[in-house]
Amino acid sequence: METGMRKTGFLYDERYLLHHTGPEHPESPERLLAIYRGVEEGGLLPQLTLLKAGRAKQEWIEAVHSMKLIMRFEEASLWGMDMLDHPDNRLCRDTFETAMLAAGGVVNTVDLVMKGEIDNAFCAVRPPGHHAEVNRVMGFCFFNNIAIAARYLQSEWRVKRIGIVDFDVHHGNGTQSIFDDDPSVFFYSIHEHPSFAYPGTGREFEKGSGPGYGFTLNSPVLPGQGDDAYKELLQRDLLPAFEQFKPEVILVSAGFDSHSDDDMSDIKLSTEGFSWIIEQLVAMADKYAGGRIISVLEGGYALTRLPELIRNHIKILLGSEG
Amino acid sequence: MFIDKSMTRKVITIRRDAGLDEAKKKMEDNNIRHLPVVEEDNTLIGIITDRDMRSALPSVFSTCLNDPVEMQRIAGLKVEDVMTRDPITISPMNTLEDALMMMHKMRKGAFPVVDQKGKLTGIISTRDLIRAFINVLGMEIPGTLLCIEVEDKIGQMKKIVDAITEEKISFGSILVARRWEEGKRAVFPYLLTNNVVKVKRKLESMGYTLLNPMEWSLDQLPKIEENESWNERT
Repeated sequence: METGMRKTGFLYDERYLLHHTGPEHPESPERLLAIYRGVEEGGLLPQLTLLKAGRAKQEWIEAVHSMKLIMRFEEASLWGMDMLDHPDNRLCRDTFETAMLAAGGVVNTVDLVMKGEIDNAFCAVRPPGHHAEVNRVMGFCFFNNIAIAARYLQSEWRVKRIGIVDFDVHHGNGTQSIFDDDPSVFFYSIHEHPSFAYPGTGREFEKGSGPGYGFTLNSPVLPGQGDDAYKELLQRDLLPAFEQFKPEVILVSAGFDSHSDDDMSDIKLSTEGFSWIIEQLVAMADKYAGGRIISVLEGGYALTRLPELIRNHIKILLGSEG
Repeated sequence: MFIDKSMTRKVITIRRDAGLDEAKKKMEDNNIRHLPVVEEDNTLIGIITDRDMRSALPSVFSTCLNDPVEMQRIAGLKVEDVMTRDPITISPMNTLEDALMMMHKMRKGAFPVVDQKGKLTGIISTRDLIRAFINVLGMEIPGTLLCIEVEDKIGQMKKIVDAITEEKISFGSILVARRWEEGKRAVFPYLLTNNVVKVKRKLESMGYTLLNPMEWSLDQLPKIEENESWNERT
């Protein structure tokens, strides 16, 4: 791909603020407001292709989640329950609809990238998705947005090799379990070591199963580690794995909770550390995937840091920096 | 916690007159290291382990591989020639703690479980205990582990549990490291949530120290000399 500015999509919609989690819950609407402010104050809006939410078709969700889970979720939300299965997963009446808009927005973004109308994108969606399994919501996640996008790429765009990179500080157990035996989706996760962080999975020996063995790769990072450890592990694990796998599209579960100022973890990544990671991902997308990279928000709770982190993230997608 | 709730019931066994090749194959096929030896009526008469087999069979470096007489003797070896007779057994009404202490003191990896009539009803191995340990730690349920340093005095645990419970957080397990600094203990609550920021701050405001994860350990004091192991006494 030629250098210079890329056409980058930015998915943001005020309806993503409607999922209310109550007081003192870290996964709050304020996260998205901070992100939008960061993009706006960075003067990036005019350079971006602004995308709005679209409602997911049920069949897209069903390609990942069980009918039973979808119906339980919808019912609990519409009936005004305040949580689904666990107090981590706070609900309000709009939560189900917001989750439908998040998944749908990501899928619509996938379409635009595949049609070549935009080169890449960042999707600022809520609720996050990477902990959600086929039949289980957990860890603030309801629908697994990334997994839904990957299944859609398989069924609608016949993509044979999808690379997912999850750099949220927590292991992407949901995404891993969904593609555990699928050799056409390479799932890579780098996260705080599971003995010290939620949800307690993502050990190095977890490598997939059956035909998918070898298409899951986990790099646990010890508490207190930061930029150096991430650089070393990504170069040791991810870069050679994708060199071999050659993904046609790269999907990113982008969590910003490994920042040193984010108290959800003991990981000490710097703002520059995040930029380095995203530069590597964009470079891999250019090398193997015709520049196709779609980054989707997962965690990240330091409201003071989110503006700069997302601003840098988007600048690197645009190709205006680095 | 009784053995019969945690033991493996479907025991792979072998007869006394079986050849060592058959025993070896059974172990390999089932990925196990212990075969109880039983009579036709399931009475336990011995146990054969992969270590017994390795001691009985010649190493690939052994010179006896070239000795036809010796090789013939080895080929004729039966399970009963190599097995441990009257092995240490455990009863279904012994406890998991009994099994743990027996494994620890006797340095064995498994015990056949035998009823009052001497019949084999199961086997309990390190694998069963590992499974039980994973289970009691709650490791397979999503959660977050904390480590709190507390003074070694009565009532500390209650304060911690109350503070966490007030936040409507449930527990997967609580481990206590007793052998910590003098007068201190380390408490490891495993909390079934992704949302621990607030409760961590709360514990700190109560005056507790949350230990740096890189310092976590179950045992900080020097180990007590094990001057009397079971093996030396027997």
